[in-house]
Amino acid sequence: MTADERTDRSDARDAAWTDVPKWLMPRPQLEDREFWEGAGRGELRIQRCRSCGRHQHYARMLCSHCGKATLEWVTASGNGTVYSFTVIRQNGVPPFNERIPFVVATVDLDEHGARMIAAMPALDPADARIGMRVRATFRPAGDEFGFVDFAPAS
Amino acid sequence: MLEAQSFRRALDDAGLEKDDIGGLASAGYGGMHEVALAEYLGLAPSWLESSSVGGSSFEFHAMHAYRAIQNGDVDTVAIVYGNNQLSASGRTLGTGGGGGGRGMALPRPMSYEFPTGLTLVGAYAMAAQRHMYEFGTTPEQLASIAVQTREHAGRNPRAMYRDPITVDDVLGSRLVADPLHKLDCCVISDGGCCVIMTTEDRARDLAHRPVYVRGASGGTTHHSIAAMPNMTRTAAAVSGPKAFAEAGIAPGDVDMFAMYDSFTYTVLVVLEDLGFAPKGEGGAFVADNGGNLRLGGALPTNTDGGGLSCTHPGMRGLFLLCEATRQLRDEAGESQVDGAEIAVAHGSGGWLSTQATVVLGTEAA
Repeated sequence: MTADERTDRSDARDAAWTDVPKWLMPRPQLEDREFWEGAGRGELRIQRCRSCGRHQHYARMLCSHCGKATLEWVTASGNGTVYSFTVIRQNGVPPFNERIPFVVATVDLDEHGARMIAAMPALDPADARIGMRVRATFRPAGDEFGFVDFAPAS
Repeated sequence: MLEAQSFRRALDDAGLEKDDIGGLASAGYGGMHEVALAEYLGLAPSWLESSSVGGSSFEFHAMHAYRAIQNGDVDTVAIVYGNNQLSASGRTLGTGGGGGGRGMALPRPMSYEFPTGLTLVGAYAMAAQRHMYEFGTTPEQLASIAVQTREHAGRNPRAMYRDPITVDDVLGSRLVADPLHKLDCCVISDGGCCVIMTTEDRARDLAHRPVYVRGASGGTTHHSIAAMPNMTRTAAAVSGPKAFAEAGIAPGDVDMFAMYDSFTYTVLVVLEDLGFAPKGEGGAFVADNGGNLRLGGALPTNTDGGGLSCTHPGMRGLFLLCEATRQLRDEAGESQVDGAEIAVAHGSGGWLSTQATVVLGTEAA
């Protein structure tokens, strides 16, 4: 393989992350439009419960921890810790099959109670570790919305 | 029509005719499937059950049918499942196809998970990774489950894969989602199954010696893997002790284990949750040289070759009840566990999401 071919492949893989096909676009609903719009402008928006003080992701009409409906939107720090991860080496569906191998992690946000699954496009699979500190990054999904990814904290 | 074929064979096995069936249970399809199935089979059941909670649905069905029969709501129930997963969808289930997919309105929480590229296999893999991190469980230990299950398959002419494999074979098969290799994953097959449940009085008059439900329990902790509170502990940690208590047994009393082996890790974590091994020590329990899962071992497990080597047509829960029944009727041939009196069938569905335990016993148990 020549250097040019590697470059081509890299470009193709980048495109597989940035060119989001229509069918994969977020379809916000009443409860969670704030999350998708927040990600579109580079903010990680989650809910905090005024009754129990805990956070949650994804957005709901009541607190999944205590059951109260006393929720408010807050902007998370974007910092978190990897609870677990896997390296996806087989996914038959485009565009994912053009991304492999890639890391998907379960991240505990620093905001207590909130956990999310996210891709880690910038992380070499060999460097993935449970317990590693990570920070949110944002990837556009159309003009209005965005996806939240994670990258190693610098 | 795999459901009809299985239904007819089960009627013949029991010595019943279709008009003896007063209740029907099935799962895993679109809405009203069991109603269409009743029509196809020419049944007009007055008791219907369609709990559709993934692969463990059929353990829920057996539990609900058991309670309903005890309560006098229904006399005789057929639980039916069939799926041509392999013929219809190829080997795509679990790696992006066969469920979910293009153009679907994605229900939450999958609308968050799906765009990451996570697969069904990947969700289990994350849980396995966490177990390895917390308890030092090794890929070799996970592989040893596949190896021992393949030994069982070697004795079953109906199993899909029968040639012996080694731990090195498992570790040498390609990684699908770290740490799970191809041979850590269940097969994808076609298949059908039917189990008939009835009253004790009626069962005594049928073709085979009865197998009794002694206890049953089920539950859920999450839907998507991100919401699983603790990836090393499933709802089996609750359903198992409840079912065992109802049956009046301890884990050490179990002669044979029919466990939903969607992946090697599923077996490992549920062995711990049911109390066959202390939490975190499942790896040592399944280690190859111990041979606990083999015939003659402490807990012969998936004696038909399991989902890992025998059959997995989309969902496997009903096959667990069938194999446990075969063992307790002393009909398992070369795979027979000598003197089996108590068997446990345990289903796991979704992404370790739903768990259900059914304790079965002979009349003597």
